[in-house]
Amino acid sequence: MNAITQRRRREAITAALLLAFLIALPLPIHDVYTRNLFIITLLFAGLAQSWNILGGLCGQISLGHSLYFGIGAYVSTLLFVGPHISPWLGMCAAFGTAGLLALLVGWPCFRLSGHYYAIATVVVQEIGYLLFLNWDWVGAASGVYIPFRGESWLGLQFRTAKLPYFYLTLAFATLTWLIAWWIEGSRLGYTFRAVKDDAIAARSLGVRIFPSKMAAAFISGGLTGMGGAIFAQYVGYIDPDSILSGPLSILIALPAVLGGVGTLWGPLLGAAVLIPLRELSSTFLGGSGSGVDLMLYGALIMVVALLRPQGLVSLFPRAKTEAAR
Amino acid sequence: MSLDAMLQVAASGLLMGLIYALVAAGLSLIFGLMDVVNFAHGELMMIAMYAVFSLWQASGLDPFILLPLVAALLFGLGMAIYRLLIARALAVRFNKGMVQIFATFGLAIFIRGLAQMIFGGEFRSITGTWLGGRTWNLAGIYLPLPQLAASLVCLLAFAGLLLIGRTEFGRALEATREDREAVALIGIDRDRIFALGWGLGAATVGVAGVMLAGFYYVSPNVGANFALIAYVTVALGGFGSLLGALGAGLLIGEVEAITAQLLEPSLKQVGMFAIYLAVLMFRPRGLFGKI
Amino acid sequence: MKRLILVATVAATALATAHARAEDIVIGAIYPLTGNAAQVGLDAKAAYEVEADIINTTHAAIPMVMGKGGGLDKLGGAKIKLIFADSQNDPQKARAEAERLITQEHAIAIIGSYTSATAATISQVTERYEVPYMSADNSSPSLNQRGLKWFFRTSPHDEMFSAAMFNFFTEIGQKTGHKVKSVALFYEDSIFGSDSSNVQRKLAADQKIDVAADVKYRANSPSLSAEAQKLKAANADVILPSSYTSDAILILKAMAEIGYKPKAIMAQAAGFQEQAFLTGAGDLAEGAMSRSSFALDATKSRPAIAPVNALYKAKNNKDLNDNTSRDVTALAVLADAINRAGSAKPEDIRKALTETNIKGSDTIMPWAGVKFDETGQNTLGTPVIQQVKGGVYHTIWPFDVAVMDPVWNVGQ
Repeated sequence: MNAITQRRRREAITAALLLAFLIALPLPIHDVYTRNLFIITLLFAGLAQSWNILGGLCGQISLGHSLYFGIGAYVSTLLFVGPHISPWLGMCAAFGTAGLLALLVGWPCFRLSGHYYAIATVVVQEIGYLLFLNWDWVGAASGVYIPFRGESWLGLQFRTAKLPYFYLTLAFATLTWLIAWWIEGSRLGYTFRAVKDDAIAARSLGVRIFPSKMAAAFISGGLTGMGGAIFAQYVGYIDPDSILSGPLSILIALPAVLGGVGTLWGPLLGAAVLIPLRELSSTFLGGSGSGVDLMLYGALIMVVALLRPQGLVSLFPRAKTEAAR
Repeated sequence: MSLDAMLQVAASGLLMGLIYALVAAGLSLIFGLMDVVNFAHGELMMIAMYAVFSLWQASGLDPFILLPLVAALLFGLGMAIYRLLIARALAVRFNKGMVQIFATFGLAIFIRGLAQMIFGGEFRSITGTWLGGRTWNLAGIYLPLPQLAASLVCLLAFAGLLLIGRTEFGRALEATREDREAVALIGIDRDRIFALGWGLGAATVGVAGVMLAGFYYVSPNVGANFALIAYVTVALGGFGSLLGALGAGLLIGEVEAITAQLLEPSLKQVGMFAIYLAVLMFRPRGLFGKI
Repeated sequence: MKRLILVATVAATALATAHARAEDIVIGAIYPLTGNAAQVGLDAKAAYEVEADIINTTHAAIPMVMGKGGGLDKLGGAKIKLIFADSQNDPQKARAEAERLITQEHAIAIIGSYTSATAATISQVTERYEVPYMSADNSSPSLNQRGLKWFFRTSPHDEMFSAAMFNFFTEIGQKTGHKVKSVALFYEDSIFGSDSSNVQRKLAADQKIDVAADVKYRANSPSLSAEAQKLKAANADVILPSSYTSDAILILKAMAEIGYKPKAIMAQAAGFQEQAFLTGAGDLAEGAMSRSSFALDATKSRPAIAPVNALYKAKNNKDLNDNTSRDVTALAVLADAINRAGSAKPEDIRKALTETNIKGSDTIMPWAGVKFDETGQNTLGTPVIQQVKGGVYHTIWPFDVAVMDPVWNVGQ
């Protein structure tokens, strides 16, 4: 018990130091492209951590998380565009709606196991995508523009400034990390681990599997929806193809998988490697249209998956012992 | 709607269903053997389509003649993928399921980039084939010959795969599937069986690609148009059940055709996805899966 | 790790900017260069490179705006330098690339972008950074109706295109006595498809033409046979498809497969104007009509077409089409404005753009000319109607520029 407390304290201190570093990071860097890269990386670090709560800690591999992301983005955007409700409230609404939706999806899907569950999550997301693509009230294929209503923290709109969005996404990534950290040390984390490792044994130990999965789904889906709300406000335009698509679901899960599934640091590390690589390769190699950027991206995923099955965190020996725990 | 029109809808759904089943057959085979979902399945099909397109362009021979060649090519490719990638993914001790998913997913992206590099993004079509553009008018019900041929090939492929199951190799496959550790004791080389299984699965999807190229365009992203439907088909039928994949393909084809008539055509895939969810509520391991 | 990424970014940026000479005028071009729409982006890239060469290099004068070569004379012979970025057809990516081109590469204007979703975010960025966005080939009518100050579009939009189709229906009805009584809409589930169909639905209602079928379909479906059956059941006088290449090939095949030969097809260009469609659909494409902003065969009234097309064909091994001709024109118009402004300041260029007044005969387009209204839309971009004969599109309308009599099967 003492060792665990000590480890958790160490994790919290590391996180605080990292946070301090990240707060200072963008200050000497003024170019917009790099700041944008940081923002997208932090957003996906947060999204991957959200996914990790269900996919990693609780072991339910969802390949349809863009559904929650998209719902969150739509909810907060429609509230902002229509009744002028601040995106701060929009984010809370996004959390609630996406979380409830995750419960609704989990209700039938959690009785499925393994690949049946994974494909069911894809199918549900795809149905959501098709419905939004054909639903005129939410703009159907045309999507929704977010009009620029002037520089403001309340409306989370800034003409060209990137720093506010940097700190917003940093706060989001920190929040998801803290929640994952809290879950790990709580009774909830214990039940999640039991469900993940051996559902049958867990049941015999008196762990109620279904409610545990539902709890994980609510937190994971809700946080993902919150990320969607932030993304929508940052980009200023949403449409089903860019926020509710299959490839996005994979991109939400991928940093966690490559970084180290079920670990605290994996999603962060995975995002820090994967997202810049993806953005930079498409920016500097994609202009030729030769497909080299895709080959590089695909090869990286294969190599990391095979050589570092526990994720990139296993490169750090101390984290490794924690991942294998 | 007239009776003719209804029969036409049913016939089109039937043909499409058999084509879905053909595309899904290889996926089902590989899954049944080693519990691996190949997320590069659509890309293997795309390779077969480009292979037959290139061979047709170079030689002018009909895709039918090129069919065995492309199937053999894909067989080799499947074995190579197993040896280089899948064998390593199976040897992994942690996060096995996740490693398999993302290793094959990485492969899919890599193949797409490669196709873009070699062939560019242009949509290509094979024209002037024996069957291309011909259609059989059966008392007012139209059956396009390329699709009809693909459906028949689908039935032959399933018959072939089921027959293989009765040969010595098939029994070795079955034994390997049942108990991976024990087969080593009776002198079966598990790795060799798996490699052959992958070859066979890839060859099957190669056959699907060739038949599809007879009436469908080819592009680096064409695999994605069919891949999700193939996964749904296999899961709906029950992972590893060949007959299940055939039945599920037919069901999906019909549901899609009917949804397109009842709702808007842009929502026709909602019908097939909803059926998947509905069936799995009652049979969590698919129509023919072992409970 | 973070530092490593940073170093990589800085190094890569330094590399990219190192060889841009001080006097170059940098224009950023954003297109999908990977993914499903990649080919269109690659063709656009080739077209822009051809036009940049025409502007920059010394050669025999081509009779079009900015056709005399030798760089921008009012800027001391400065050269146009294009920097391409891959949007992957992703609005977020397009936005980030626009920001990069403006802030890092110092692009003084952005040109793009084929798909409407990417144009939506790029035009927001150019508005905030106050540089002109020249929309070369986005045809969604909603784009110029958002009160943007820095948005300019040389190309006609879907409302203008569809109006041309319905005017053609009226005129051919009067000429042949066979009026269009019903149309069938067939459009994909994208911004392009829904914008196009909305206008067509309205125009049909205005002209009291019956909409016999309204078929919205999923783009890149494995099969379009159900859609073909709906079109067959409606058997309208004219089918109005709004589709990209892949689905254009597929729907013609699907209709033939169920023994349906439509009386007339009038396409909203896009896929129907691509060479891959004409090859893929083969004989089935014969007689199909399409609106076009370009007429390759109008060489008599537009003498610049022949030399420009020859240059493009030498580079990309195909003829100019509806999209690539618009790209050439957009860059020429933009370069002309920069030249007239005599300055690389965005505000000056914007002012010069608003004063643009180019005669149609000074372009390669069959348009009346180029002149922007207060929303940035070119009001003189008058489209033509073309028909496939012998695997090639021939202009059939307006009748005064037609090179061929239309084959009109409606009412027979």
